[in-house]
Amino acid sequence: MTANKQEILAAFSEGLKKFDLDSSAVSARIEDDGILTLEGSTKTWQTAVDIGHMAAKLPGVHNVVSDLTAPGAVPLKRKDSAPYRAMGVVDKADVVIIGGGVTGCAIARQLTQYRVNILLLEKEEDLCEGSSKANNGMVHSGYDSKPASLKARLNVRGNAQYTKWAQQLGFQFNRTGSFVCGFGEEDRATIESLYDNGVTNGVPGIEIISGDRARELEPGLSDGVQFALWTPSAGYAEPYEVTLALAENAVDNGARFRLGCEVVDILTEDGRVRGVVTKQGVILCDCVINAAGLYADEIAEMSGDRFYSIHPRRGALVIFDKENKGKIHTFSGVAPNNYTKGGGPEETPEGTLLWGPSALEVPDKEDRDVDREDVEFILEKGMHLTKGIDPRSVITYFSGNRAATYSEDFVIQNSRKIRGFIHVAGIQSPGFASAPAIAELVESLYLGQNPNAPINTAFNPIRKPEPAFRDCTQEERDRLIAENPAYGRVICRCETVTEAEILRAVHGKIPARTMDAVKRRTRAGMGRCQSGFCGSRVLELLAREWKLDPSEVTLKGKGSEILVRPSRNTGRNAE
Amino acid sequence: MNTLSYDIAVIGGGPAGLAAAVKARELGMDRILLVERDYELGGILQQCIHDGFGLLRFKKQLSGCQYAQKFIDLVAEGGIDVLCDTMVLELTDDRRIYAVSAQEGLLEIRAQAVILAMGCRERTRPQVSIMGSRPAGVLTAGSVQRYINMEGYLPGKKAVILGSGDIGLIMARRMTLEGIEVEGVYEVMSSLGGLRRNKVQCLDDYGIPLHLSTTVTKIHGNKRVEAVTVALVGSDGKPVRETERVIPCDLLVLSVGLIPENELSRKAGVQLHPVTRGPVVDDTMMTSVPGVFAAGNVVAVFDLVDYVSRSGEIAAQGAADFIRRQSAQENMVDTVAGSNVGFVLPQRVSADCRGKEINLYLRVRKPMKDVRADIMCNGKILKSTHYGVANPPEMIALRLVPDGPLDGPLTVDVR
Amino acid sequence: MTTKQYVCIVCPMSCSIELTDDSGVLTVKGNTCKRGEEYAKNEYTDPKRMITTTVGLRGSRLRCLPVISREAVPKKLLRDCMKQLYATVVDAPVRQGDVIVANILGTGVDIIAARSITL
Repeated sequence: MTANKQEILAAFSEGLKKFDLDSSAVSARIEDDGILTLEGSTKTWQTAVDIGHMAAKLPGVHNVVSDLTAPGAVPLKRKDSAPYRAMGVVDKADVVIIGGGVTGCAIARQLTQYRVNILLLEKEEDLCEGSSKANNGMVHSGYDSKPASLKARLNVRGNAQYTKWAQQLGFQFNRTGSFVCGFGEEDRATIESLYDNGVTNGVPGIEIISGDRARELEPGLSDGVQFALWTPSAGYAEPYEVTLALAENAVDNGARFRLGCEVVDILTEDGRVRGVVTKQGVILCDCVINAAGLYADEIAEMSGDRFYSIHPRRGALVIFDKENKGKIHTFSGVAPNNYTKGGGPEETPEGTLLWGPSALEVPDKEDRDVDREDVEFILEKGMHLTKGIDPRSVITYFSGNRAATYSEDFVIQNSRKIRGFIHVAGIQSPGFASAPAIAELVESLYLGQNPNAPINTAFNPIRKPEPAFRDCTQEERDRLIAENPAYGRVICRCETVTEAEILRAVHGKIPARTMDAVKRRTRAGMGRCQSGFCGSRVLELLAREWKLDPSEVTLKGKGSEILVRPSRNTGRNAE
Repeated sequence: MNTLSYDIAVIGGGPAGLAAAVKARELGMDRILLVERDYELGGILQQCIHDGFGLLRFKKQLSGCQYAQKFIDLVAEGGIDVLCDTMVLELTDDRRIYAVSAQEGLLEIRAQAVILAMGCRERTRPQVSIMGSRPAGVLTAGSVQRYINMEGYLPGKKAVILGSGDIGLIMARRMTLEGIEVEGVYEVMSSLGGLRRNKVQCLDDYGIPLHLSTTVTKIHGNKRVEAVTVALVGSDGKPVRETERVIPCDLLVLSVGLIPENELSRKAGVQLHPVTRGPVVDDTMMTSVPGVFAAGNVVAVFDLVDYVSRSGEIAAQGAADFIRRQSAQENMVDTVAGSNVGFVLPQRVSADCRGKEINLYLRVRKPMKDVRADIMCNGKILKSTHYGVANPPEMIALRLVPDGPLDGPLTVDVR
Repeated sequence: MTTKQYVCIVCPMSCSIELTDDSGVLTVKGNTCKRGEEYAKNEYTDPKRMITTTVGLRGSRLRCLPVISREAVPKKLLRDCMKQLYATVVDAPVRQGDVIVANILGTGVDIIAARSITL
C-alpha cells in the first residue's frame, strides 16, 4: 500500500492525539522514500519511543528517524574527526566492516570466501562487547517474527544453518527446542496465533502439545502448564563463543581485525565510499559495511545516509550457580499473558542456568544497569514456569541493549545515496539466530556491487577448537600437561581453567588484553566466586604477558583499570 | 598419572590444614600429605597482616602471618610432605583425590583418611542484591586485602565499604593507613557485624563513620565505579527509596559474609548442613563419608583462628583413631540448636563419651545480655555457663566432659 | 570525678570497661582479666596501639613484607611510624622476627618481620 506524503503526515498527526502532548511539541517530515523524521521533545522517553513505534506502523512509512528528546535522552553524537584525519592514512582495505559483534564477525568470515582485503574495526578493546555479549544465546526457531518481515525470513534460514556452523566452527550448540507455555484457556488464542505465524514463516516441526507431553520433554516445567507451543528447532549457543569462533576463522582465512579502533567519520567522494576516519587514523577502502549495532545510526549519519534510529531496549540476564545444572535443559519458556516481553529460563551449552532477558526502553545506549525491577521480573517469571529452582543460587546478573529500529525489523541493504556503503542495522533479537543468513545476504549485496570478486580458493571453513582442560579425560589431561606444564596450573578454581588456556587466549588470533576478554575466552572468573580467587592471578598474567604494570590492566578497556597505583616504591615499577 | 599413597591427606594449607597436619605428625602418623592450591602455605592468614591472632593458643597478639609461620615451621620440622601450587580436582567417596600441578602433572592420591580444610570464600555482589552497572572497582574485602598487603597495589582512591564484619572493619583501617579515603562503613543489619574491639581500633580511632541499617542499593559507572547509592533499610529488611543518596567513590568493598567452600565435599557425597553450609560432622570432625574429616571454615565460618586450629587437631586425632580402628564411630547422638542458637558444631557426638572432652561451638541468633548457655540431655542440664553478652558475630565455645553416657540428643539453649 | 567507657581491644572478648578517675586514683570495672585493666588505664592516660603494616620488598615475587611492632606504641605516634615504614624497603630473604626498624621513633619498640620470605 502506498500513501502520499500529505496522507502520511495527517495520519501521524491523528496518531499523536493518543499521547498526552502539547500539539507543537513534536513535528514530523516525510521524504519521498517513506522515511519519516521526528523532532521535538516529550515528557518521558517511553512516550518518545511509543511515538516512534506508532509512526513506523503508518502505511507508507518505511522507517523512522527520531530525534525526539526526553529527560535522560542522549542525542546522536557527532564527533570531531579533524585530529584523527591529521594522523594520516594508516591502513588500506577493500572492505571495512564496522562492529565486532556476531553480525560483523559473521560477515567478515563470509566475505573471506573471496580474495579481498577485509578489515574489521571494533571500538572496544575486545570483540563481542556490545549487544552480542549480553543476550541469552538463543537460536530462535522463528515463530514470533511478523510474517514476510526480513526477520522472519532470515531467522528461519539462519536457524537451519546453525548445525553446520557449529560443526565447522567448533562451538557448542544444543538444539534443545523451545516452548511457549499456556497456563489456561486465556492463553490459547495467543499461542494459536503464534502457531499460525510459525507455520507461515516455515518453522519446522512446530506444533501445539499438551502440558503432560511438554513435561515429558522438559520435566523441570511447571505443573501449571496446560499446553504449549513446541518448536524443536530452537537451540542455544554461547554468543561470545560463536562470535570469537567466527572471528578466528575469518583471521585464518585472511581477514584482519583492529580493536580499540573507533570510527569517527566516513570518507566519501562523488557519492562513493573512500574510507573511514578512526581514532587510530585514516583507513582507505572501497566498501564499508555498517554492523555497528547500537551505534549503526551514528555510523549511518557519518555516511550522510541515516534513515533509521536505534533505540536501545535494555535486557537483564540472571545467571545461576552450576549446582543447578540439569534442572532445566530443553527450553526457553514464555507464558504469553502476563509475561509477553523478554525471554525465559534456559540452560546454556556450558550447563549454566540462565534466566531472562527483561525488556525496558532506555534513553541511553550506554545504560547497562540492572534494576531491582528487572531481577524481580525475571525471577517471578522463571519461578512461574519452572519448579525446583532456588532463586538464592543466583551468582550474577548483567544487562545489554537490543539495537532496535522503530520498524522493529532488520535493515540490510545497499545505501541508496552512497555507493559502497552497506547498512546492516536494527539487528536485535533474533539477530544471533539470523546471523548465518544475514552474512549470506550481505555477501550477495557485496557481490552485487563487486560481481568480479575473485574466489578465495584457499578458504577453509573449519576452525578446530582448542581443548578445554575441564572437558578433557584424564588421559588427555596427562598428555596436555606433558606437552605444556602450564596446563597443570589451575588458575580459576570454579571453572577449572588452567594457565595454559589463559596464555592461549592472551596470544590467540584475537588477543585477549582485558580481564573480560580472558573471561569470555576461557570462563576464568565466570563461576560462583566471580573471580574472587582468580582475579589477581589473571591480572598478574595479563601484566606479565603484555609487559604492563599491574595498574595498567583493565577489566574492559581504558578507564576500567582494576588497580590505581603501587602502594610502595620498591624500585620495581620502573623495570 | 602418578599415584601416591598416604595415611592422611589434608586438602588445604590454611590454618585448619596446617594444624591438622602438624597434629597428625605429633600423633605418630607416618605418611602425611598437605595439598595447597596457592604457591605457599598459610592460606588467608598470609594476607592478614593485622594482629589479634592466637591469643587463646599462644597468649600473644600475633599477626595472621606470624600465626601461620609458627605452623609452617612445624610442618617443615616434621618433614610433612607438601604439594603447593596444586589444585584438587576431585575427591571420591573412597578417599581417592585427583589433583593437578604444573610440576607433578595429574596425581591420584589414595589416603586412609582425608581431612577437608578448604576454608571458605567470600560472598559476592549478587548475593546481596546490589543493582546497577558492572564496572571495575567492585571488589570483595579479601581481594582488596590481597592486592594491598601482598601485591602492593591500591585498588582505589575513595572507598565505600559494605558490611561491618571483621574483614570490613580491618580493611577500613588498612585502606585509611594506605591513603585510600574511606567514606564510611555501611551495615544492613541494625547491629555491628564484627567484634566491638575492631570497631574501636579500626573505625573510631580513624573517625570512620559506621552507618547501621543502611545498605548499598546501586552501583554507578560503566568502566570504573563512579558512585554508589545507599539507602536505609526498613523493618522489612528492604531499602527505603526515599532515603536513597548517591555517594561519589571509585571503589566499593564488599564484606558481606563467607561461604564454606564445599564443591569437593559435595562431589564426594558428603552431607552438608543447611545452616552452616558445611559438612555435618561428629565430635571427631568426621563427615557423613567414613574416613573423610573436615576442619576449620569449610565446616562453618569460625571467628577465631584458634578454634580453627583446634578443629584441625580434633580432625587429625579423629583421622588417626579411624586409621587405627578402621571403622566409624557407632552409637551417636545428635546435637540440637535450641533457644536462640543458630547452629551447634559438631552436629553429632559419640554417646559413649564418658570422661572424654567434647568441644561445642555455636552462634546465637540475636544479641542478648546476661545469658546462660545450657547444655542439656534428656531434660537434664549437664553444664551451664554464664555470659555477660552473647552476640551473633562472637562464636561461643563450650567444653563438656560428660560423666556418663549420653542417652539422648544434646540440646544447647542460650537464654 | 571522671568516668570513661571503653571497649577493650586486647582480645576478641571485647569487654565493656568502665574507668573512674577519682582525683588521680583510677579504678577499672567490667574487665575480665588483668590486661583489660591495663588497657583501660593506658587508654585513659596514654593510649597505645600495635603497629601492623607492610614495608617494600625486593627480590621476591611479593612486593610487600608484613611487619609488626613487638609491643604497642603510643597512638599519637602511629602515623609518623607508618610514614617511616612506608619509606622502608628490604631485600629477600627475610626470617620471621628479623628486626626491620629498631627502636622506631625512639619509642623503644622494634618493628619486626611478621613472616619469613624465602622466594
